[in-house]
Amino acid sequence: MTETPSKLPLRLLTGLGLGTLLCIAALGWVFFVAPADENLGIVQKIFYFHVGSAFGMLLCLCAASASALIDLMAPNETIDAAGQACTEVGMIFALGVLTSGPLWARKSWGTWWTWEPRLTLTLLVLLIAIAVLVLRSMAAEAQTGRRIGNALAVLAAPVAYLIHIAVQKWGGTHPQVIQGGGIQSSDMRIAFWGSVVALLTLGFSLVALRLRGILLEQHMVRLRLDLSALELQRARNGE
Amino acid sequence: MTMLRLTWLLLAKDVRIAARSREVLGFMLLFALLCVVVFAFGFLREGHAAQDQVPGVLWVTLLFTGTVGLLRLFAPEDEAGNLDLVARTRSGTAPLFWSKALLQLLFSGIVTLFLVPIVAVFFDTSLDGLPWIALSLALGLVGQAALGTLAAALLAQVRLREALLPLVLYPLLAPLVLGGVKVTALALTRAPYAAFSGWIELMLAFDLVVVVLSPWLFARVTE
Repeated sequence: MTETPSKLPLRLLTGLGLGTLLCIAALGWVFFVAPADENLGIVQKIFYFHVGSAFGMLLCLCAASASALIDLMAPNETIDAAGQACTEVGMIFALGVLTSGPLWARKSWGTWWTWEPRLTLTLLVLLIAIAVLVLRSMAAEAQTGRRIGNALAVLAAPVAYLIHIAVQKWGGTHPQVIQGGGIQSSDMRIAFWGSVVALLTLGFSLVALRLRGILLEQHMVRLRLDLSALELQRARNGE
Repeated sequence: MTMLRLTWLLLAKDVRIAARSREVLGFMLLFALLCVVVFAFGFLREGHAAQDQVPGVLWVTLLFTGTVGLLRLFAPEDEAGNLDLVARTRSGTAPLFWSKALLQLLFSGIVTLFLVPIVAVFFDTSLDGLPWIALSLALGLVGQAALGTLAAALLAQVRLREALLPLVLYPLLAPLVLGGVKVTALALTRAPYAAFSGWIELMLAFDLVVVVLSPWLFARVTE
């Protein structure tokens, strides 16, 4: 008989509530406490969520590549499921970055889109993450999808680094807020790191939620197999 | 020794199949020509060529034409349903990987030899800096063949592969295409090597990464 999946991801779910509360608190701080930017005005507030999403994307997709590598070397269903969950959440974060980025760019650079290094990198990384997920889902068997999706995810990590170098050389500028001293007051600093923590907590909880979902799906598939084996046995005994 | 010999045998087999059916290479050449014609519709103004579009036309045509070849790369094994048997040689899966990558390199190399003069004539370009352009093309084709062979193998086991190959391939090949376009553009204006040496090094690094990683991953997806 199959074992029931671990309850651990379910316990992590309490983090989802915490993440949501933190996000609401961060929103409140960003809009009611942190001052508007001296040069950019209110549009600068996008940055609090933009950067947090970018951190989330980076963390999730790096974790996804790492777990893909581990699963290829020493197959482990839980690690593979965690990798898939990370890829999906990383994709959501990338979409967040690519939505908030152009909104900022329209106001501060006067254009919705420029082929600026980090925008280009984010777009390409999003496309690669989509490719991994689509490849998984299009395979005839789940195990095949797992192998080929993981192979692509492993290859994506060094290639994404080279894409990063390539688009840097290709041209353009990105606001260097943290290194460039763009944070003008301590209230802004609290808003910034508060949003980062809130978004990362939310992202972590979403990964846990999705991991739980994937493990339950796998458990259900196994239960179905057990059931049909039992029915077959019963039919044989009946004859 | 066994590995080289097995690679050679598999490559010779594929070349023989291609020579008999006359399918893939002829279609790639025709497709390259069609691409250049279609780009001319888009980029020529009143019959005059804007020379700064030549690098883009060249590299995007190679990217598209390479995809055509890659889609048929595993066709013989796919139709016979024996990919897992052919992959299982005494030297592992490496001979199959390298024979397919070399086949793709051979075909896309022939296409390039045909394509460069065509683009030069149709877009009225004197091919200045041809040695550097040739170097960038060689680096681009090696990277595309190595990464493309892995991508084709991944997609050999998937539905809708014609639609999915570009999704897998094009974002990953971005460094090669960006580098190739830059090197070609700079070489055409007779810029010194120092102006684009960084791009050549980047393309070389990309090739090293995919030449090492692709066969390793290939072994893990065709077991």
